Formats: sequence, structure tokens, C-alpha cells
Amino acid sequence: MKIVLILLSAVLINNFVLRYFLGICPFLGVTGKISSSLAMGFSTTFVMTLTAAIVWPINHFVIVGLNLPFLEYVSDILVIASLVQLIEMFIRKTSPALYRSLGIYLPLITTNCGIFFLALSIPMRNYSFFESVAFGFGAGVGFTLVMLIMAGIREELEFADVPKCLQGASITLITAGLLALVFMGFTGLIGTS
Amino acid sequence: MSNVKTRPLYGRKLMSLFLTSIVTMGGFGAFFAFILSIAHKKLRVEVDPREEQVLNALPGANCGACGFASCRALAEAIVKGDAPVNSCVAGGSEVAEKISRLMGVGSVTVQKKLAFVHCGAQSEQRTKKAIYQGVKSCRAASIVMGADTACPYGCIGFGDCEVACPFNAIKMVGGLPQIDLNKCTGCGNCVNVCPQNIISLESFDDINYKVACSSLDKGKKARQVCQKACIACGLCEKFCPFDACEVKNNLAHIDLLNCQRCGVCAIKCPTNAIIQISLPLDENQPVTLDK
Repeated sequence: MKIVLILLSAVLINNFVLRYFLGICPFLGVTGKISSSLAMGFSTTFVMTLTAAIVWPINHFVIVGLNLPFLEYVSDILVIASLVQLIEMFIRKTSPALYRSLGIYLPLITTNCGIFFLALSIPMRNYSFFESVAFGFGAGVGFTLVMLIMAGIREELEFADVPKCLQGASITLITAGLLALVFMGFTGLIGTS
Repeated sequence: MSNVKTRPLYGRKLMSLFLTSIVTMGGFGAFFAFILSIAHKKLRVEVDPREEQVLNALPGANCGACGFASCRALAEAIVKGDAPVNSCVAGGSEVAEKISRLMGVGSVTVQKKLAFVHCGAQSEQRTKKAIYQGVKSCRAASIVMGADTACPYGCIGFGDCEVACPFNAIKMVGGLPQIDLNKCTGCGNCVNVCPQNIISLESFDDINYKVACSSLDKGKKARQVCQKACIACGLCEKFCPFDACEVKNNLAHIDLLNCQRCGVCAIKCPTNAIIQISLPLDENQPVTLDK
């Protein structure tokens, strides 16, 4: 039950993008088309889940077990960078078109602050292994959800009659702000988390 | 992580801390490197290095004249051998030469064709039959009985071709597209977009005589709707010393093979529907390359 709560809270309430404002770079950069935003969301979910699954044992057995707290950041970076390399190779092999449409944003998952925040917050939250994996997966799903919503809105915005002074980046930022307001409505849905 | 020991470490304890951290991080590094090297073997993508070189040689405008979606798609096809090295219409002989050198192919000939508008009437020379207030686009206007222009064959003048041209070679002057032949690459985007089908790709020499009209109406009717129309009078046919001019379906045609560029037709044409176009010689000659 606690796992479901953690999952839900990571998706809706503690949404990384709209609550913590993490991962804004792909949120604004890749949400032009639904297809590429979905792909970006899936890649990030994959990296987030695996990061949570790998960071937890590393943290639990090595960092705490051997009492090497100063190595936490370095090992997190190592894990994230390797995973992103892996998924980059995988996407390049399976779908060259997707690889091109994601472009620079794919290697930039390495520096996605959402993933680093996830790796850092797992030890802070005292989760068990499965709870932390659920947290990572939920964070990824929440990221994907927000990317999808944003891409859908922006595809519709293409046809909207936007005033000239608001066209382009400004209307995108206004949309993002309104979305964040909407997600604030989920606060308090599941007790305190 | 608040359990950091504040007491300074000395001697063997410090050494063992050094050792553990180096061994753990080194171990992690080696482990991930091992996984990545396996993945690299399993998921390797064979990329022909020539693909990137061919892509760099192409103009990169993604005009689509070659029939492929983008310059990158064409580069892939050329390297695979699915497309000939002179597929790039826009790049012309210069690009074909570079690519043929990259691919190690011998001689290549590129026949360059450029866009030409078969209508010579600016908007004040065209008779209006109505007032059009709809969307300012030729395609939209052509649906509503050919917009406001009385001539059903000629230019509508909203400049869809100007928008479609990826090389900024087309400018609308007085409601008629004017093609900058130095910028035109013959990609054919304007040909596809024109709802009246009055733009075509034609061979160009240093001096050219072309019929700038598409009207298939009889002379009287054509004259009523347009000051520049070909009225099918047959003067060009009559005076051409080389039998190059011919009036078919109420419209003059010039046979490029027979035409010796004397220019009699342009002088005799009563409505100036036949026009002369001069080009710089060196740029538009067919080019033959030898390796």
C-alpha cells in the first residue's frame, strides 16, 4: 500500500517538473511534438527507474556500509552517465529517426537535474529498495505525463490565434505556469508525503 | 549523510580510507565500463563515414527535389547506392562533383533545369472579373473559381510559390512571381505548389526565348482578359527562319532543339508574350566531369 502511495505522490503531488521545477530543459525543449515528448518521457522514466534501483544498493551497502559519504555524488553521476550511454546506444540501434528527433536532449538526460535530485533524495527519504524503485518509476511517469500534457497543449497552440507579443517562448512559459498551478491542486490529496 | 566523523584521521586509518574509496570507485567504474563495452558490442550501429561527408557536401536545404525527405535521407541512399550521385537537383554540378569524388564514381553529367513562369501579365495587365476578399493564397483562391483574375490559365498572384521557395529565389513583383535564376536551383517546389500549373522546369542557355503565357483560349477572348496573352496569331510561326515556333491549341510553343536564338519571334509578337531571358554563360551550362 505504501508503494502505491509513493508512486501516486511522485506522479501527481510531488511531480518533479511542476512541483520542484526540475528537468525544465527537456520540458520546454522537446515538447513541440507529442511523439518526441513521449519518447523523451519513456527514456527518462527508464533512466530514473534504473537509477533508483542501482543507487539504492550502492548507497545502502557502499556509501553507508563503508562510511564513504563523500563519494555519494560521484557514484550517482557515474551511475546516471552510464545509464544514459546505454539508453543512447539502445535508441540509436532500434530507431535512428527517434535518435535524430531527440537530438542533443538525449545525452542531456545525463545532466537532467530531476534524475540527480532523485538519486540524492533516495537516501534522504529512508525508503526501502522497492519503495525507492517505485519512487523513481513514479517520478519518471510523472515527468512523462507532464511532457505529454505540455506537448498536447503546444500542438493545439499551433492553431491558436496567439497575440503577437505572446508568441513563441512567452506563451510556452505562461502555459507551463498555468500547468504548475493546476498541479498545485493535487496538494493534500494523499495526506502528507 | 550526517554520520561524517569530525575527528581527523591519521596514519593507517587515513590510508585505509583512501584505499577503500579508490577501490570502490574504481570497482564501480570498471563494472559500468564492462557493461557499456558489452552493450557497445551488442548494440553497435554500422555507420558509413562517407554518409556524414556526403551530407556535408549537400546543400542542406531539405527541399525534397530529389524525392527524399531530407538531405540526410538522400545521403544515406547515395552511400547505400540506392540513388545516383547526381540526385541533388538543387546543388547542381558542383555538389555532384564533390559527391562523385567521395563515392569514387567517374564522370557525371548534370543537366540543370530552372523554374520558368508561363505567364507574363502583372496584375494591372490582367482583367479582373470579381473582387476577391478571401484567404490570400493562390491555392485557396483557385478553389473559388480562380479568384479575381478573368484569365483562367494565368497567375493568381498571391505568391504561394514565393513562400514555397526554400532558396528565396522568387519575389512577387506587381502580382507576378519573378524568379532570380542565379538563386534558383531547380528544386521544383514552386512547380508543385502552383495551382494554375504555370511554372515548369526548363533548360536554360545564355540566351533564351520563352512563351510567357499559358492561355489556351482563342485570340479574341485571350486578348479581352489579358494584355500580354498569346493570341495565337501565328506571326512567330510565320517568321521563324528555323521552324522552331509552332502554335498548338491557341498557344505558341518554341522547340528548343530547332531554336537558334535569333529573336525574331520576340520582335514580331504583337503582345510581347514571347520574351528574351539572358543568363551568364558559365553558370548554367551542362557540366561534364572527368575523374
